[in-house]
Amino acid sequence: MQQSILRDLGILLGIFGLIWLGASLFSFYPEDPQLLSIEREQKLGDAYVDLVLLNPMFQELENEKIDSSIQVIGDRLSGGLNQSEFDYRFIVFDSEMINAFTLPGGNILISTGLIGFSESPEELAAVIAHEMGHVEERHVVARLIKELGIEILTSGDPYVLGEVTGMLTSTRFDRKQEEEADLFACHLLEDSNIEPRTLATVFRRLEQETGNELLEHFEIISTHPNFRSRIRDVLSYLPEDDFTVEPFTMDWEEIKSGL
Amino acid sequence: MKYHPIPQPDEIEVRVREDAMGAYLMMFATAALGLPLPILNLVAAIVYYYVNRDKGKFVQFHMLQSLYSQIPVTLLNSGLVAWTIVNFVRDFNFTSIYWGYLIMTGVAGLVYLIFSIVGAVKARKGLFYYFIFFGKIAYHQVYRIRPEQTGSTPSNQPPGL
Repeated sequence: MQQSILRDLGILLGIFGLIWLGASLFSFYPEDPQLLSIEREQKLGDAYVDLVLLNPMFQELENEKIDSSIQVIGDRLSGGLNQSEFDYRFIVFDSEMINAFTLPGGNILISTGLIGFSESPEELAAVIAHEMGHVEERHVVARLIKELGIEILTSGDPYVLGEVTGMLTSTRFDRKQEEEADLFACHLLEDSNIEPRTLATVFRRLEQETGNELLEHFEIISTHPNFRSRIRDVLSYLPEDDFTVEPFTMDWEEIKSGL
Repeated sequence: MKYHPIPQPDEIEVRVREDAMGAYLMMFATAALGLPLPILNLVAAIVYYYVNRDKGKFVQFHMLQSLYSQIPVTLLNSGLVAWTIVNFVRDFNFTSIYWGYLIMTGVAGLVYLIFSIVGAVKARKGLFYYFIFFGKIAYHQVYRIRPEQTGSTPSNQPPGL
């Protein structure tokens, strides 16, 4: 009797355990970024960048000094990547909003407001490294596939492209994705000889600005009010013993004065 | 382990059959209340059990089977409500594991509903219907012949060395 009851219990637990496991895996597939190849993502990304820059709110800044400074920071971070399938492009747009966001295909848009907010090139590098984390982990594509489906995303319809572009400028990631991007940023900053815990400094300063309307669209703070746990996680990141810091040699205040 | 003989349909009165059927139908009566607070279903089933426990073994069996099978469904539903509230309050992080749990809970609720309907119909006909696992436990608990029922006096035994 007892064995028969235990066998029944085992069957029940097995069946419902399998249903849970199967349903979890099934519901994961619709957001699998592997459904879109990197090449396809980069082509889509180029189209999105063109459309975003047509929007007066995201007008590309034409300032050689700023561009070259961002390129120096971007090159340092790209050099810290072991290997990447993405060709990164860093675009500065003229807006007082403190903002940076990622478009598919390795395109990272940075506002002049964020550059002005950053007290050092290292702080800006920390934010860019976080955005690169979203690129490498393919969070943007995963989110788009989850919300729209692969068919709509790859339809090529100009109207759909326009709508998706509107969504991309205000993308919100979930907590897990933000934490993954934070961890990626810490590793990348370390590999680029930048103090990884600078990211915690940026978070703390952003947290102090809570309520500031200029931060309204900044995805990096989308997990608020769980910001403290992210600060704690970043602060607990310990670089390797042989880690050395190589400060940027640019005159940051002078560069910012050109904004 | 010895068990009492189980009655045949023609030996069970209609009133008893209806009381046994009521054990399963209790769920429908409390379904509306149980949606936001799943624990109410269970409370209603427990109250029903204590009110009708003197109405014979046939009713007791069906009441216990319904009650026991409701416990895991209630726990799953409670877990779902709690997980959903936590997700809403915290960061809208509805993971694939959460969706898997939601689907599994839905399937469990559906299976419970189907088995309850079948159980109610069978009970109304004076038949036994054994749910997997829960049916055996309910039968064992209700129909088992306890030592005090055999008339023998309890005696001390040495440990099995």
